[in-house]
Amino acid sequence: MAVLEVEGLQTYYGRVRALHGITLHVDAGEIVALIGSNGAGKTTTLRTISGLIRPTEGTIVFNGRSLADVTAAARVGQGICQSPEGRRLFARMTVTDNLFMGAYARSDKAGIQKDLDRVYELFPRLKERATQIAGTLSGGEQQMLAIGRALMSKPKLLMLDEPSLGLAPIFIQTIFDIVLEINASGVPVLLVEQNANKALEIAHRAYVLETGNIVKTGTGGELLESEDIAKAYLGM
Amino acid sequence: MSLAVAARRRFSSVDWRDPNTLTYVGLGFLALIYPTVVYLINPDQGPALVSQAADAGVFVVMALGLNVVVGFAGLLDLGYAAFFAIGAYTYGMLASGQLALSPIGHEVHLPFWVLLFVAVLVAATCGAILGAPTLRLRGDYLAIVTLGFGEIVPRVFRNLSQFTGGVNAISAIDAPVLPFWIDGPWDGGASFAVVQNLKFTAGEPTAYYVLMVLIIVAVVVVIRNAQRSRIGRAWMAVREDEVAAEAMGVNTVNIKLLAFAIGASVSGFAGCYFGAKLSTVSPENFTFLVSVTILLMVTLGGMGNIPGAIVGALVIYFVQYKLLSDLPHWVASAASALSLSQHATNVATDYATRLNFVIFGLILAVTMLLRPQGLLPSRVRAQELQRGTTDESVFDASAT
Repeated sequence: MAVLEVEGLQTYYGRVRALHGITLHVDAGEIVALIGSNGAGKTTTLRTISGLIRPTEGTIVFNGRSLADVTAAARVGQGICQSPEGRRLFARMTVTDNLFMGAYARSDKAGIQKDLDRVYELFPRLKERATQIAGTLSGGEQQMLAIGRALMSKPKLLMLDEPSLGLAPIFIQTIFDIVLEINASGVPVLLVEQNANKALEIAHRAYVLETGNIVKTGTGGELLESEDIAKAYLGM
Repeated sequence: MSLAVAARRRFSSVDWRDPNTLTYVGLGFLALIYPTVVYLINPDQGPALVSQAADAGVFVVMALGLNVVVGFAGLLDLGYAAFFAIGAYTYGMLASGQLALSPIGHEVHLPFWVLLFVAVLVAATCGAILGAPTLRLRGDYLAIVTLGFGEIVPRVFRNLSQFTGGVNAISAIDAPVLPFWIDGPWDGGASFAVVQNLKFTAGEPTAYYVLMVLIIVAVVVVIRNAQRSRIGRAWMAVREDEVAAEAMGVNTVNIKLLAFAIGASVSGFAGCYFGAKLSTVSPENFTFLVSVTILLMVTLGGMGNIPGAIVGALVIYFVQYKLLSDLPHWVASAASALSLSQHATNVATDYATRLNFVIFGLILAVTMLLRPQGLLPSRVRAQELQRGTTDESVFDASAT
């Protein structure tokens, strides 16, 4: 069953069309990767789904309900959660406060506490730094915090934007392991990555974007072996 | 018994390692002993000094309110004195003979205790009215709009002279009256200054002082609770990164509006008290300089920290209204002690008067150089300046 269905999505930045009609879907329990070169529209797609940008055309249906009139804030309440590109942590707030912000749309205190413990279990590093402000963390720790914060919203769909950006290889592996772990707990993941190899390794399915269009789709394994992939994500 | 248990639990939950706790205790203690000490040390000046402390309290309250807007929510408000004016005029018009001269045609004398809350409501409403269309703006743009508002409001009061007396100001405003004529045992000849003659008269300012301390305590309690709640966290999140806050499910416009309205209402509260104590309200009391001074108090005290705002307000008030205004007097007495000629004394005194603002500026510049985080920074600020943040930018500006 499809958790998220996007059809014919068109988005403009001013007069520039960034998305030329994106159609994709995410099924329950899947990891779906969006790959492509710079400026292909990956981030724009995520931001449109999370409601930070309004599409001019197209529909987004989440768990059977249209999101056309739902604000970004309300979409979080429905369970769509984005860990934004560049992490966008609250730099001068403590690690704990950042995590609590992730749970802003929730009101079940006990559940929030349980999820906080779970995030600390996933990322023991964050627990050590609980009272430190986010701006003083290293890049890898910040990425952990960004993912942890997204998990705190108890997502029914987790959207990760470039989780491996700017990280040391050892951290990249950790982050991808954790994405797999989160997915194993039943949360579908929509993953945007420039690191196409890594993304395709863990993704069930993937879409290849090029200048606002989906040019190819398939399972992670198929696309890994495809020669077009190198072309698409190098942007040639 | 259960009350005692609750009190003990509350008491044991106080974190004594938190420097803020110590500041609160210290400030509370000072506020308690101040009138007595002043009357003991300097009986002649006693009433004047207690009265000045109450005036300083007006600034403390405003700094606390502006700290919510600028320190917590990160909205630069350069017209904060406008809400102060609105509070003061609300009281001035509704508790004096002023409206007899207006088209309304008869005097209105509502009690202070009612108007205190009316002023808060009026100021909060004005804050919301100003905020609703403008809080979509960010940073510098918002600052300019608030600057404009801060200029417009006193002008409206000046030119609406039918109701406000214009440049002639509203005078002979009612003093507050204790409800039910509470006279009690302290009325009369008791020697203990704190509780002596607790009446709202100009010569005996203790009642104003006590009222101000109570107002400050109330405002601190409300703001501190707001800061520690989910709302306080949302304010900080909006300050740090508005888009990310929205992505977390924060309704950014509403949360900013709330900060703005709370700031405005606190200022309205202070304005009402100010009008009552001074017993006159004039458009000259609410210039841009007032807005800037309050902003200075918050910045110098430690942005985003409640005790910081209090201490910042007290320090700046002391420097500006006590140290610098007494400076020419001190220079004159120093000159006569050195037995300088009359001419030299005059010149020195003259310079001390003229250089007032230069000295004020120097004090500010030096303080900010030595303590850029403010006198009493919030823990977060202190940490930021101590450890430094990572070189990597925490968010990518180009992504917006």
